[in-house]
Amino acid sequence: MNKSVNHPYDELLTAYSAGSLPLSQALCISAHLEHCQSCGQKLQRLNRVGSQMMQQLKPAPASADLKNQLLDRLDSLTEEQAPVESKASEPDSSIPRCLRQFIESRYEDLPWKRVSTDIHSVELCRDSNGARVELLKIRPGGSATTHTHLGDEYTVILEGSFSDESGLYGQGDFMVKGTRDKHTPVATRDRECICLAVTEGPIQFTGFISRLLNPFIRRSYA
Amino acid sequence: MPGMTKRKDSGEKLAQMSLCITDVAENRDKAAFARLFDHYAPLIRAYSLAREPAADLVADELVQEVMTRVWLKAASYNPRLANLNTWIFTLARNCRIDYLRRNSRYATEIDPTDIFNDMEDEGPGPFQLAQQSRVEENIRAGLKQLPREQSEILTKVYLEGKSHQQASDELKLPLGTVKSRVRLALKKLEVLVTR
Repeated sequence: MNKSVNHPYDELLTAYSAGSLPLSQALCISAHLEHCQSCGQKLQRLNRVGSQMMQQLKPAPASADLKNQLLDRLDSLTEEQAPVESKASEPDSSIPRCLRQFIESRYEDLPWKRVSTDIHSVELCRDSNGARVELLKIRPGGSATTHTHLGDEYTVILEGSFSDESGLYGQGDFMVKGTRDKHTPVATRDRECICLAVTEGPIQFTGFISRLLNPFIRRSYA
Repeated sequence: MPGMTKRKDSGEKLAQMSLCITDVAENRDKAAFARLFDHYAPLIRAYSLAREPAADLVADELVQEVMTRVWLKAASYNPRLANLNTWIFTLARNCRIDYLRRNSRYATEIDPTDIFNDMEDEGPGPFQLAQQSRVEENIRAGLKQLPREQSEILTKVYLEGKSHQQASDELKLPLGTVKSRVRLALKKLEVLVTR
C-alpha cells in the first residue's frame, strides 16, 4: 500500500489528469511522478476515465472546411516541424523534466539567495494565481524556522531528505501543508536537501523573535 | 449518457483507428489521417464545447491543434503503451491547458509542455499491459452505472475542466462533498486500486 502522506492525494491526481490543476501544483505532481511508479499507474487509469468520458460524449460534427484546411496544411507542417523534435535531454541529469524549463544545467549554478545560515532559496517563477514556485536548499543538518502558511504549501523533495514533526521524507516525496499545519523541517546530516516548494500565500513565522519580524520579512523562510 | 456506442462497436472502431494511426506514422497516409479526423474531430469539438458551450471557434481551434499534433507525433505514439483514445484525450487536454494559458487574463511563466508529456512516451510494463483491456472495460461499464450525483461531478472535472472548488461553487455543495464524490466514483471504477 501507498503511504499516502508522501503521495499526492487522489483528488489532486484526478485534477492533474483532468487538466484542471493550477500549473504550479501540476509541476509538483509531475516532479513526484518521476519518482513514483504507483502514482504513475494510477494516473494512467485516471487518464482512461477522461478518455472514456470523451468517447461517450455526443459528437459535435466538424465542418468540411475545417477538415480541408487542415489536410491542405499537412505537408507544410511536416517541413516546418517534424524533424526538430528535440532530444536535448541530458540523461545523467537528475533534474525533473518539468523543471528543466527553469534550470539550464545544474542546481549549483542557480542564483541562490541566502535566507538564513541554514537555508538558501531561488524563485523559479510565479503562477497566474499568484503562487510562488521556488527551490529551497537546506544545508546538512540545517532547519527551517517553525512556520505556518496563509495558503497551502506544496513540497516535493528533489535531493536529500528532511524530517519534521510528522516523519522523514526522501527524494520524490510529496506533501501539502495547510494553513493550520505548523512544521519545522530539518535536513538530514549526510547531505543538503533541495526541495521544490509552491506556496499560495505568505508564510507566518510562529517563534517569538520571528513574530516580531513578521511585518518586515518578505522571504518565506528565515 | 447520450451518444454511447455498444462495447463491440467501440472496440472495433478503436481497432480501425489504431490501423489508421500506424498508416499515418509509417506511410504519412493522408487518407488514413482523414479517417482519424472524421472520428476524433467531433469528439474533440464536443470536449471543447463541454467547457465553453457555443464557442465554436474555440472548438475548431482545439481540433486544429490536436489533429496537428496527431500528424506530427504519430510516429512517437506507441500503441503498446497507451490506447489511441487515451492518447487523443491527453493531447486534447494538453492543448486545452495550453490554450487557456495563452488566453488567460493572468500570465503564468510556466510552460505546460514538459509537465504533461510524460504519458506520451512512458508506459506500463508487460504486467500492466495485460490488464489494460480489463481496466478499460471496468471504466467504460462503470461510468454508465454511476449515480447521477457522481457522474455529474466527474463531468465537471474531466470535461468542463473545473477545479473541485469551482464544482463546489456551481453545484452549491461543500468542497468536502465534492471531493468525496470524486473518490467514491473513482473507487467504483476501480481506478484507485494499487496493483
